[in-house]
Amino acid sequence: MMIILDSLWSLLQAGFVQRAFIISIIIAVLSSVLSIFIVLKKISLIGDGLAHTAFGGIALGYYLNFIPLWVAGVTVVLGSLGITKAIRSTRISSDAAVAVFLQLGLAGGIVLISVARGFGISLESLLFGSVLLVDYDQIITATAIAAITLGILFLFFKELVYVTFDETQARASGIRTWFFDYLVSLLSGIVVIVAIPIVGILLISSLLVLPALTSTQIAKSFRQTVILSPIIGLLTVTVGLLLSLIMNSAPGGTIVLTGIAILATAFAAKKIQRTFSNKTDNHNHICGKLA
Amino acid sequence: MVARPIVELRDISVRYANGVLALDGITLDVNDKDLIALIGPNGAGKSTLLKVILGLIKPTTGSVCLLGSEDLAKNLKYVGYVPQSAQARDANVPFSVFETVMLGRTPQAGLFHGVGLKDRRKVEEMLKLFGIFDLKDRKIGQLSGGQSQRVFLAKAMVADPKLLLLDEPTSGVDTTSKTEFYNTLDRLNKETEITVILSSHDIGVITKIANRVLCINRSQFFCGEETDFNAAEEINKMYNYPVEIFEHDDHP
Repeated sequence: MMIILDSLWSLLQAGFVQRAFIISIIIAVLSSVLSIFIVLKKISLIGDGLAHTAFGGIALGYYLNFIPLWVAGVTVVLGSLGITKAIRSTRISSDAAVAVFLQLGLAGGIVLISVARGFGISLESLLFGSVLLVDYDQIITATAIAAITLGILFLFFKELVYVTFDETQARASGIRTWFFDYLVSLLSGIVVIVAIPIVGILLISSLLVLPALTSTQIAKSFRQTVILSPIIGLLTVTVGLLLSLIMNSAPGGTIVLTGIAILATAFAAKKIQRTFSNKTDNHNHICGKLA
Repeated sequence: MVARPIVELRDISVRYANGVLALDGITLDVNDKDLIALIGPNGAGKSTLLKVILGLIKPTTGSVCLLGSEDLAKNLKYVGYVPQSAQARDANVPFSVFETVMLGRTPQAGLFHGVGLKDRRKVEEMLKLFGIFDLKDRKIGQLSGGQSQRVFLAKAMVADPKLLLLDEPTSGVDTTSKTEFYNTLDRLNKETEITVILSSHDIGVITKIANRVLCINRSQFFCGEETDFNAAEEINKMYNYPVEIFEHDDHP
């Protein structure tokens, strides 16, 4: 045990590990706040759809020999606008709309990679992330994007909350709900692009779902959800990264499994609490009758 | 000078994209302090008509004027609305009763402005008025139909609206809660002088508290004073089925 702790301590002194923790925390806070609106608006698959659109964009970037992440950024922005337009359309259900864009990005990317015989892309790093290879420039970019995104969410917070609660009622009170639908989708796209280096394309959507999903199991109000979601996001990436260092496992996958374990714990705690309160109610009811 | 009606509907027709004619030639003036009972069978177009007034559905023909303006969005902050599905909430939706009612203050606060102490006081006032102050910390999805209905009425009223639109607000609610609800509505209409349009299937009770009645089944069957309304005759025409009406003291 002491040997494991000693080696963990020495790993934590390393610059690349510290950078991994810093960027993970930035992404965790950003994605967990946004996840509240995504989960409550019932568009949880949007992160997945946009991540696969990003995959197509990265492949296109390599094919065009132009900065892949920039090309992915453009395709994700276009994808987020397209997904939102399709979701808002009454002709197609929202999950089907996301699925179409997901397949388009994935298939397009695979075709481009196969045509160019691989480009020398590390598919593993794209799919599962490589948080331990993050440099300071990425941290600065992520910090700036997080500040801008959280600033926008803060500016429109009460309108976003209303639209999330009930779109029809929000529209009926004069709120331009279409603008906020596009805004959430666009900000999700930005988070996807920033987060791909950490958890990769396959697992990014989990960071845009799990923190809010877990916090809504525990929270008794929206205010509590807003406080709990970033805390759960932070806990997920911190514990996940530590476990991945201890077990020498893939950080992206370990982070996501940690998030799912926290969600399962929240479900179990809720069930135990409900069973206990039902038993107490029954006991009080019987005692009341006997008295 | 005669005041302009709160709502002016002129020859409203709505045809959906699938070709279904939902409304055909509805004309109505809603005056200040009116309480209008909107009656019709399922699929008659009652919800569509309320959505036309709110600008949620654009009429295929005809014009809508809300509080003196055809630019409906401009005056929506003076309108309170309780949709038909308002009470149906997932138990996990993490909104407390207080937060739900507070949402009604969003249009009043304006863009880039948060809700403040004045808004919180207004919410507390409404929670007390509707007898739900003790429920303020409960999750909205954990309330009974009757409690939930009072929360959404409080949310609609918290913005001090001039016009209140209620779309079948008592569906799925027990008889006692219905009676309490209609008594509250009658009191609100008289005390706050708010204008109300109420769609419902509780014909007996809503025609008692309403001063005017509008009967529709896609087209307009009756529009006039409650005193001129012959329920049996109009229901016969609307439903195209013979009915007899019996009064019972225990049922509204």
